Amino acid sequence: MKRSALDQIVLKVSGLQKNFDGVDVLNGVSFSINRGEVVALLGDNGAGKSTLVNCLAGRIQPNKGTIEINEQALLLNSPSASQQAGLAIVHQELALVNELSVIENLFLNREILHANKILRFFGWLDKNAMAKKAQKLLQRLGTYLPDLNAPVATLSGGQKQVVAIIRAVHAGADIIVMDEPTSALGAEQYGFLMSLIRLLSSQGIAIMLISHNLHQVSTLCDRAVVLFQGYSVADVALKEVSQTQLLAYMNGTVLEVPQAS
Amino acid sequence: MLSKLRHCEKACIKLFLGILVCLSCNHLAVANSSDGFTLTQQQEAKVQDAKLTAVMAWHGSSPWVNSVTLGAKEEFKRLGIEVLAVTEAHYDPAKQISDLETLAALTPDILLSLSIDSLSAKPSYLRLSKAGTQLVLLSNPIAGFIHGQDFAGLVGDNVDGMGRAAANLVAQAIDSQGKVGMIYHEADYHITNKRDEAFVDALEQYEDIHLMVKKGFVKKSQTAQLTAAMLIQHPDLKAIYVSWDAAAEGVIESLRIANRKDVKVISHDLGTNNLLDMALHGNMYGAVSDRPHQIGTLMARIGAGAATDVSTPLYTQVNYNSVTFENIAESWRLAFKTPLPHILKSVLEQSQEATGHGEDHDAR
Amino acid sequence: MMHVKLTAHTLVYYAFAITMLIFTVLLSHTAFFTTANLLNILMQTSPIVVMAIGLSFALSVGHIDLSIGAIVAICGLVAAMLLQSYGITIAVVVSLLLGGLIGALNGYLCERLGIPSLIVTLGMLGFLTGFSRQLSGLQSIPIIDPQFISLFGQGTVIGIPSQILWLAGLVFLAHTILNKLRFGRHLFAVGASKPAAHSMGLVVSRIRVCAMALSGGFAALAGLLYAGRMQSARYAIGESDLMALIAAVALGGCSLLGGRVNIIGVLLGVWLIGCINNGLILSGFSSNEQMMVKGIILIAAVIVTSKVNK
Repeated sequence: MKRSALDQIVLKVSGLQKNFDGVDVLNGVSFSINRGEVVALLGDNGAGKSTLVNCLAGRIQPNKGTIEINEQALLLNSPSASQQAGLAIVHQELALVNELSVIENLFLNREILHANKILRFFGWLDKNAMAKKAQKLLQRLGTYLPDLNAPVATLSGGQKQVVAIIRAVHAGADIIVMDEPTSALGAEQYGFLMSLIRLLSSQGIAIMLISHNLHQVSTLCDRAVVLFQGYSVADVALKEVSQTQLLAYMNGTVLEVPQAS
Repeated sequence: MLSKLRHCEKACIKLFLGILVCLSCNHLAVANSSDGFTLTQQQEAKVQDAKLTAVMAWHGSSPWVNSVTLGAKEEFKRLGIEVLAVTEAHYDPAKQISDLETLAALTPDILLSLSIDSLSAKPSYLRLSKAGTQLVLLSNPIAGFIHGQDFAGLVGDNVDGMGRAAANLVAQAIDSQGKVGMIYHEADYHITNKRDEAFVDALEQYEDIHLMVKKGFVKKSQTAQLTAAMLIQHPDLKAIYVSWDAAAEGVIESLRIANRKDVKVISHDLGTNNLLDMALHGNMYGAVSDRPHQIGTLMARIGAGAATDVSTPLYTQVNYNSVTFENIAESWRLAFKTPLPHILKSVLEQSQEATGHGEDHDAR
Repeated sequence: MMHVKLTAHTLVYYAFAITMLIFTVLLSHTAFFTTANLLNILMQTSPIVVMAIGLSFALSVGHIDLSIGAIVAICGLVAAMLLQSYGITIAVVVSLLLGGLIGALNGYLCERLGIPSLIVTLGMLGFLTGFSRQLSGLQSIPIIDPQFISLFGQGTVIGIPSQILWLAGLVFLAHTILNKLRFGRHLFAVGASKPAAHSMGLVVSRIRVCAMALSGGFAALAGLLYAGRMQSARYAIGESDLMALIAAVALGGCSLLGGRVNIIGVLLGVWLIGCINNGLILSGFSSNEQMMVKGIILIAAVIVTSKVNK
């Protein structure tokens, strides 16, 4: 995963098409995201947002079109492949294993192994190293959790989200896609998430936010990509557009020719 | 010279008589009658003074086993021996070994046991023998065991005789001619295997009886299905032989459902349900019964004798008799030494048209 | 006094302590607390512990292995049959591989065909039972190889019976895998939440097949221990252990839905059942009474567990 220079395109989606049982769910979606940008993915229900996210996550494969990460066209045929490419998805359902602890979740499938070669071969865990690293990660992102060894199930929705985000950061993700991150949060937690997103963005990590809350989107994000019935109908800077206009794009009232920026 | 010849003659006659006596003694020893082993009053007093303890390790649980246990317990009580524990292994050889180990911790003087798998039970038995416990075996011998050293004695059924008696009962049921089926126990189990073999051999003596089909079962709950299949394949069967009583219940059930009142069933051991059927002149024609209560009594006594240095016989056999409608009540008493179950008694009283009294077949 | 919270996981510790207390009162006059008897219990339960460990691996990923008893039987038979002609090394290696392969096959069928493990392993149980009977011709196969008998059966090393050494070693191994190795974490993750584990990049089907292979492998080891102890192999070994196994893993706090497994809890669960069996015999209970008491204990354990928070 190369750390590209600023303003370099980190994710580029071109002409993505997906057909389920004869229904065209994605109809040539195209957009791109630069390093460190915070982009909103907008669209009504059925516009194709989830399908797009699933394609990025490697859970489904598009019928046509390309996904380029750091200017390399990739085939994302599994969640592993997607993660290795530098994409991380933070879900609504928050794909964390509830019964495992915070530390265990942070390092699942990227565990820190013992220094000794023989023990490494068997996969011997270095629990101290992981505990220390976990503390560091949390500190760096300004978060605090009371007990890192408690099962994730004991955390609130907002805290779980933070864990999922930290996991993504630790995995060295270049792009973090957050699916409806604010829907379960209270005001204080929302404020914390906002500053966390700003922090990540300043560190060069691109963030794609899927949200229905247009007000929040305009404060959090730099740009917005709008989907309507499987088409990418708009790709605009949020400073240059009003909420009414955004709504119009989402309703299909205004249709723009899909353009690559 | 003549006197020397006479001397020789007398010696020869004495020798001949001596051999004759020995042979007949052997014969008597082998073909033991029901009171195969007794203790004198002195010997019994010695047993009482010895304050012995006993345990029993059975293979499984059934009315037959319970009858053996009862016989043994009564004899132990009579002789003043304390019964510490009775285990049963649910037909699992590994559990039997565990049971034997657990019982060994009680350091009993006497152990009565029926081995499920002689091969795996042998080491456990040996450990107990070497620690001083007198082992009395039921029915299944242990290869390589030395009488008087590793075990005190074996008590068993006359499996050959029982098999033959069953064949005779079949012949009786179908007037020595016709087609016959067999539902046998398909497992490595000494008593049933040997009885079934003897049955097949004895049946061959009857020229006009043909053993058409044999079906094996593992669990006794399977016999009903097997019988149904057998009837479809061979609708002209006149009788069916079953390895033992509990399995025969399924056979009779199947015959009733198929409305085949004409097919006669012959089996071994006595069970209330099948005897009821017999008393009501149903499918159950006859059964060969051994003497479980007596087995228990003998085993207990042999154990007691061995524990007080009385020499005990290597092999003691109990009798059997063929049971048909005529001698149900007497046979029950002989086998179990308990009163006839109430329901059986009342049914017998009701169907007292045929008056015949019991006949004991002491076939050798 | 230390208060340990009563959860499904700690239930077995409480149960064990309470039962020992009761036995101290009721069975002090019997042979229960003699070294010989306690050693007996350890030895008698060692194959069951090994089977329970195998079952725990299957449970950890949300599978169940009903065929475990039959794998025990067939691997014991194969080992006994190979022992005479090919020697101890080949017999043991083939037996272990066979167990692992059968387990892997179970796992593969579950993943590939999408059929619940309950049904797949039930079918395998039926097949292997019939096959074992066929293979052995219903005869017990004797084992006379003195090396084998001392290694897996009655032998001792520095005074400790080899069965107990196996027990300790395997418990330690299982505990290490589950708590110290990466694979153990992956097992729990898959068991606790397949979709989440999948999203995190774990190859769920491979992990589940491995878990079942481990279950089969441990079953094979249990078969070897049984064979050594009984100095023979028989088709029916392991048949009647399933109930005790399930009771033990349930007591030990394993969830049938998958997730974290407590090996020490399972160990104590097996020992608890073994002690109860032994204690009931020594108290002079009849066989029927023993069965009733065991049933009552199991029901009581379930009631307590259900009233307790996880």
